[in-house]
Amino acid sequence: MVLKNIRDWIVPSVLLMLFMIMPEIACAAETAMVADTAWWVWVLGLFVFTFLLGIVAVIAGVGGGVLYVPIVSSFFPFHIDFVRGTGLLVALAGALSAGAPLLRKGLANLKLALSMSLIGSISSIAGALVGLALPENVIQLSLGLTILGITVIMFLSKNSAYPQIEKPDSLSQVLQIYGIYYDEHLKKDVNWQIHRTPVGLVLFIVIGFMAGMFGLGAGWANVPVFNLVLGAPLRVSVATSVFVLSVNDTAAAWVYLHKGAVLPLIAVPSVAGMMLGTKIGAKLLTKVHTNVVRRVVITLLGVAGLRALLKGLGIWN
Amino acid sequence: MKQETVHADKVQLAYAAILSKATTLSIVFVILGYVVYIFQLLPLSVPIEQVSENWHLRASEFHQNIHAPFGWNALSDFGKGDALSYISILYLGAVTMFCLVAAGFAFLKEKNVIYTVISFVQLLVLIFAATGIISGGH
Repeated sequence: MVLKNIRDWIVPSVLLMLFMIMPEIACAAETAMVADTAWWVWVLGLFVFTFLLGIVAVIAGVGGGVLYVPIVSSFFPFHIDFVRGTGLLVALAGALSAGAPLLRKGLANLKLALSMSLIGSISSIAGALVGLALPENVIQLSLGLTILGITVIMFLSKNSAYPQIEKPDSLSQVLQIYGIYYDEHLKKDVNWQIHRTPVGLVLFIVIGFMAGMFGLGAGWANVPVFNLVLGAPLRVSVATSVFVLSVNDTAAAWVYLHKGAVLPLIAVPSVAGMMLGTKIGAKLLTKVHTNVVRRVVITLLGVAGLRALLKGLGIWN
Repeated sequence: MKQETVHADKVQLAYAAILSKATTLSIVFVILGYVVYIFQLLPLSVPIEQVSENWHLRASEFHQNIHAPFGWNALSDFGKGDALSYISILYLGAVTMFCLVAAGFAFLKEKNVIYTVISFVQLLVLIFAATGIISGGH
């Protein structure tokens, strides 16, 4: 077991070391490339990159949006305003595409989603306005800290497949938030209800604000709040998170659209690459070692977060 | 072994029906709009090279330098390839609103006052964001 754990961490650690010891090479290469490279090379590169990102995102069980912003803003020449605007569209397109089957199967719960997204969408508009008004170095610094925080959450989080709720809270009863779904693993119907609804509402204000500010899809935060705080089953949490994300990201995306922070030249290949990659990733899901991929993704996210942090501090531009 | 039972209610099914159609349409629009843009099948407001020379700038600085279509102003440049691609993205941003209209009326039909109100208030929040009033929209 110990040997297996060590092996699983070798690949990510080597990747991390390579990134850490090559900043000068990376910077020099970046400066030369930005000046000389034709636009279509960047666009094509972005499509291929987001396609690969889509594959690893779905295998690692993370949303594409949370990987897109830190990594693309670190390694592509686009301003972070455009990267954040596109990040929201990438997350939005993915959520819209995944939505219908989840609703039809009864895994996603519209009442749970709408109760949380109403307040979350208002705060995501506020987050987008604040994010587009702040100086670039402040955004990079806070994005770096946020991404490093997400890395820690992803590394430590232990979801609960079927949380036991002794007594639902009164607000969840008023809002009729409870349900039943067929669990393919258990081969039976599972009844569920939630508790701590007011705490969840407050947390969704924070999540919405951060999603709007940084252009991140917020599945990394929605799922633990639904699952660990409110006590919804993991499957319901993951599926319902998609709907909260589609509403919150729509609200914030309109702010970015009106501020001119969306360029079709960048946005469309990103959305197309990510959606295509996600479909391929879903097919590969049963054939690859998901734990290793997840660790590589967490490491990449950590490196990208560190890069954003150092950019914000003016150490690595 | 129990057979799989679908537990989605009528509102969820109504939402899913609109979502499925509107999303498929949005993907078609976005790809067609981009093909028209990138292969310059229609004239452009701003040459692509000029966009790539400025995409390292903040959004506000970018639009001070070049007059690329954005916000609702893109509609006035409808015959231009870049505006068309931009408008297809605006449509993508509207998909959730179509679904909320369907959900709102489905809840109303069920006489579920709380979620009729929540659905339409949520719709108003998104319409408010889409008007661009709060973001100094164009």
